[in-house]
Amino acid sequence: MGNTLRLMKTHMALYVMIIPIIAYFAVFVYYPLYEGVTASFQEFNLLGARPYVGFENYTTAWNDPAFWQVVRNTLLIGFGVLIFGFLPPIIVALSLNELRLVLFKKFSQTVVYLPHLFSWVVIGGMWIYLLSPSGGLVNELLALIDAGPIRFLTSTTWARIMMIALPIWKDMGYAAIIYLASISTISPTLYEAARIDGATRLQQTYQITVPMLAPTMKVVLMLNILGLLRIFDQIYVMRNPVVKRKVDVLMTYVYDTGILQFEVGYASAVSVMVLVATLFLTAIVWYVTGFGREG
Amino acid sequence: MATRTDTSTTTSGQSTASGGGSGERHFGTINVIFLIVLTAVMIVPFINVLAVAFSSGLSSMDPGIKLWPSEWSFQGFKTVWVNVGLQRAFINSVIVTSIGTFLHVILATFAGYVLIQRNLPGKRLMIVFVLATMAIPSELIMIPLFIVNKNLGLLNTLAALVFSGLVSGFSILLMRNFFQSVPYDLWESAKIDGAGDFHIFRSIYLPLSTAGLATIALFELVSRWNQFLPVILYISDSSKYTLQVALQALVTEGMATSGTSMVTPNVRMAGIVIAILPLVILYPFMQRYFVEGITIGSVKE
Repeated sequence: MGNTLRLMKTHMALYVMIIPIIAYFAVFVYYPLYEGVTASFQEFNLLGARPYVGFENYTTAWNDPAFWQVVRNTLLIGFGVLIFGFLPPIIVALSLNELRLVLFKKFSQTVVYLPHLFSWVVIGGMWIYLLSPSGGLVNELLALIDAGPIRFLTSTTWARIMMIALPIWKDMGYAAIIYLASISTISPTLYEAARIDGATRLQQTYQITVPMLAPTMKVVLMLNILGLLRIFDQIYVMRNPVVKRKVDVLMTYVYDTGILQFEVGYASAVSVMVLVATLFLTAIVWYVTGFGREG
Repeated sequence: MATRTDTSTTTSGQSTASGGGSGERHFGTINVIFLIVLTAVMIVPFINVLAVAFSSGLSSMDPGIKLWPSEWSFQGFKTVWVNVGLQRAFINSVIVTSIGTFLHVILATFAGYVLIQRNLPGKRLMIVFVLATMAIPSELIMIPLFIVNKNLGLLNTLAALVFSGLVSGFSILLMRNFFQSVPYDLWESAKIDGAGDFHIFRSIYLPLSTAGLATIALFELVSRWNQFLPVILYISDSSKYTLQVALQALVTEGMATSGTSMVTPNVRMAGIVIAILPLVILYPFMQRYFVEGITIGSVKE
């Protein structure tokens, strides 16, 4: 015990360094978490008493068709991005890896990655303009083949498709870089051996590169699943009154009900459910992919 | 035309690489064509934005495919900077981004350094305390965070935006990884020479981890510049808006009922160009660290 105290004393500087970090997390993460969970069981008033109402906020949400509508939208858009966005970065990485023209490779890699760097306000604002039925680039291109104009963001079906396609377009390069980095760690002797055995480049890709990428695929999948229920910016920027009901997701719903309509108890209950679902989803993915067991 | 030149180069490159047959050659050609199309799909939208931003107000409303300004003009930039008031928002963004990034990096290095110590009583508890925050996305606690900021009197201040995400478990973890690659012998011999913990941190660990510092600084810089939800949560006074939120009002205005918009496309696209310009300028310097950071953050962990 005395030994511990002496150790703590000699490392005083270290404790002073970590205090701001502990204090920050306490005030801006753990306390809000506690406050959020508490509020979900209360009838919230900014001033005055906050009576506990048990699970009332939860049952209200559970019986609210609007809640189920955003759950459906979130799963549809989230899993849409997850499923359709899985292959493109792998294909891009494999394709870039095969390229022998160094300059074009560098340029292409940079350009593909670029949109990931920009905010959803920039990307969303840009595509709102590009997809516009009057003079937008996409509809102008469609007009060349006598198609369209399509109201991409004001027809519910198309709006949902765009909410899935645009994040794939934006973030493809990011995942591709992870795959490319992973490909560069594959031992060249494997390819050497395959070449001696007479394998073509395509065979080498499918027999060596793709299987060696499996662990990275798990990591990328994991990262994407964690983000699935948290989608916010892209919807907030690109939604409009016409399609709002069909594209609103859980987080925009929490913002609308909790911040704009100030139904704090109700919105907190929804947040807590999403948090539990996220933790649950994470646990499942960890288990299924064996991600936790490797490290 | 471009395709043909590229094909010939690939073919020769391919044959030196593996000496494959005609099947291999076709594969290489298809691959190059695929990448040209892909690159176009990624870059043409941005070219369109640039072309419209540098067009005059009237010509920017003309129909047609615009890949080059039809009538060169800087009017869009002038309007968006002065009349729409993006200047103020730009300055706010610069303030929040620079102060926020600076403090974020300092705090992450502090924590990273403390968490590599051996024989520090309470370290395990600290690690759990820090890592567990990564399981709690800030979006999911936005409502209580709003209340906390309100109670602290931070609403409608830029300080609220600096505080948002000021410390992150991810950055701490990244920094800890970088510090761990510094040989422990250095720490021990400095200790024997009688150096204090903070002195060792400043004179040995920081100078040896500049790549790590650059990596988290750049990641933080980009995410601060793009920060959105905290701004619409905590700021309602438009003089405190950051660039992203000021721009959001501009680019989404009148989209549902297209045609009734008061601002011409060149003004909106000029706003977008202004918002991406700082990142585009910085990007060549960042690229190396980005690749490093992405790989360390995903592959190692």
